Amino acid sequence: MTIPVRPPEGRLWPADADAAVPYWVYSDPEIYAEEMRKIWYGPHWLYVGLECEIPNVGDWKTATLGERPVVMVRSAQNEVSVVENRCAHKGVKFCQARFGHSEELICPYHQWSYALNGDLQGVPFRRGVKRQGGMPADFDLKQNGLTKLRVEEVNGVVWATFSDETPSFRDYLGEKFWKHYTRVYDGRKLEVLGYNRQHIPANWKQMQENIKDPYHAGLLHVFFATFGLFRADQKSAVDIDDEGRHGILISRKGEQEKTEAMADIRNFQGDLVLEDPRVMDVVQEFPGEETVGMITIFPSVILQQQVNSLTTRQIVPKGPGGFDFHWTHWCYADDTPEMRLRRTRQANLFGPAGFVSADDGEVLEMTQQGATPSPDAHMILQMGGRAIESTDHQVTETAVRGMYRYWRKVMGL
Amino acid sequence: MSTTLTDRPAAITRDAIRDLYDDYYATLDEVRLHDWPEFFTQDCLYRVIPRENFEAGYTLSTMQAESRGMLKDRVTGLTRTQMYAPRYYRRFPTAPRIVSGLGVEENGGVRTRHNLLLVQTLIDKPSEIVLSAVCHDLIVADEGRLRFAERVVVFDSEMLPNSLVYPV
Repeated sequence: MTIPVRPPEGRLWPADADAAVPYWVYSDPEIYAEEMRKIWYGPHWLYVGLECEIPNVGDWKTATLGERPVVMVRSAQNEVSVVENRCAHKGVKFCQARFGHSEELICPYHQWSYALNGDLQGVPFRRGVKRQGGMPADFDLKQNGLTKLRVEEVNGVVWATFSDETPSFRDYLGEKFWKHYTRVYDGRKLEVLGYNRQHIPANWKQMQENIKDPYHAGLLHVFFATFGLFRADQKSAVDIDDEGRHGILISRKGEQEKTEAMADIRNFQGDLVLEDPRVMDVVQEFPGEETVGMITIFPSVILQQQVNSLTTRQIVPKGPGGFDFHWTHWCYADDTPEMRLRRTRQANLFGPAGFVSADDGEVLEMTQQGATPSPDAHMILQMGGRAIESTDHQVTETAVRGMYRYWRKVMGL
Repeated sequence: MSTTLTDRPAAITRDAIRDLYDDYYATLDEVRLHDWPEFFTQDCLYRVIPRENFEAGYTLSTMQAESRGMLKDRVTGLTRTQMYAPRYYRRFPTAPRIVSGLGVEENGGVRTRHNLLLVQTLIDKPSEIVLSAVCHDLIVADEGRLRFAERVVVFDSEMLPNSLVYPV
């Protein structure tokens, strides 16, 4: 049995609404356009960058939120502005570099100039030349600045939203997730260790699902299971916010051992030994016994704490069938050289060539290949039942169900 | 396993360097992964690093190894733990340019640079460039053959097409 849905015309939703999601959510261009309006440009906070990337007044970084280019700029000593990277005059994406520094923002086409906070300051020949031409007398600089986004800088991370209706960032997270967030983003100064960037030919929601799905982690990622970094039999938990949109996978590292749960893991490599195990030199640095906290903040980012590897992974949708994935690997500014080296080493597990993460990029692409030609078939999301609730184990797809229930609510489907 | 090189004297001549690269790239293009770590010294440094990281002075790399052991672990990870779609990788290096003469480096090594294109072909897809890079290498004589003491592959490519699977 299925339930008709509009828009888009002719699409159906399976009656087992929470546990069966049709594949057209990955491929339908109308749905994708709706997502841009209702989710990315709607009442949601989007990850822009780290405050430490623009230390001095006039420093800027370009980013893409949804599909829209923006500039994150330090407009005053204690002020970060996020403005659309689109000249008010003709729509030019005027900042082309990833990073830069300037006194003001100037469009190269007709040299319209903006203050760092986006206010329009000057339009060449505004009063005409030799009493010829010029802008009309009622042209108001104040009305023609760059589009300014609402911004919150929260413990070193810069968030922005296109909507006036978005609640404060803390309310957007909810108290439970505020606690998860501040466990790692605790107010200490952050520092960038480096970047990785990759295009994954899969729908952007797949990346959110991937980090809301602990079921796969000990199965697909043989490296994780083998070295006990993330495995089904370890004490773990899945937490979701009241709306179902944010999630966290919590786990603790175990040993490399063959346990009962291993029987279901076909590729478990019990005899695998590392020649140089420095990559697995893990130290416990956060309160509690948990060694993993993988947070998904809907819709734009994954905040990774996997042993000592700390990254933000920003999702930039590129049409229904792909997204750019921007990894920012960071450390605390007061880390010892040993800790920085440890984090840099552990980065071998993550990113486009990661022992673990490369599996995900590959399997997401393979999912897109299989799902796209059959838009009206659906996935089976019954692991752990049909409920949408926090669990004290990871044999569940509850957080994926939660995200789609929230998604349907926002999309009006 | 490269059997020819060990028979040669380990003088670092232009010809010997050329042979090293020919063997190195043939080994990788033919996916003889277990032979790959032997091209490096025991305490080598290997990095495949985005240009933006390299220029900013960051050492964070897309692939990194600080010893031959870590290179072997990379092979083990790839062959025994990782999942990826089947593909061909083919490497297109330019001729190496010697940037420091013999005896200039402390360990008697020679620094070279060359450009590299890495092209991949997946099933049902046209061939595409994975990365465009410049390789900063330090070549030394070690145990009767030439080896890389350092190989830092700095890639310009801003957006990798999904995964970087095999070494470069």
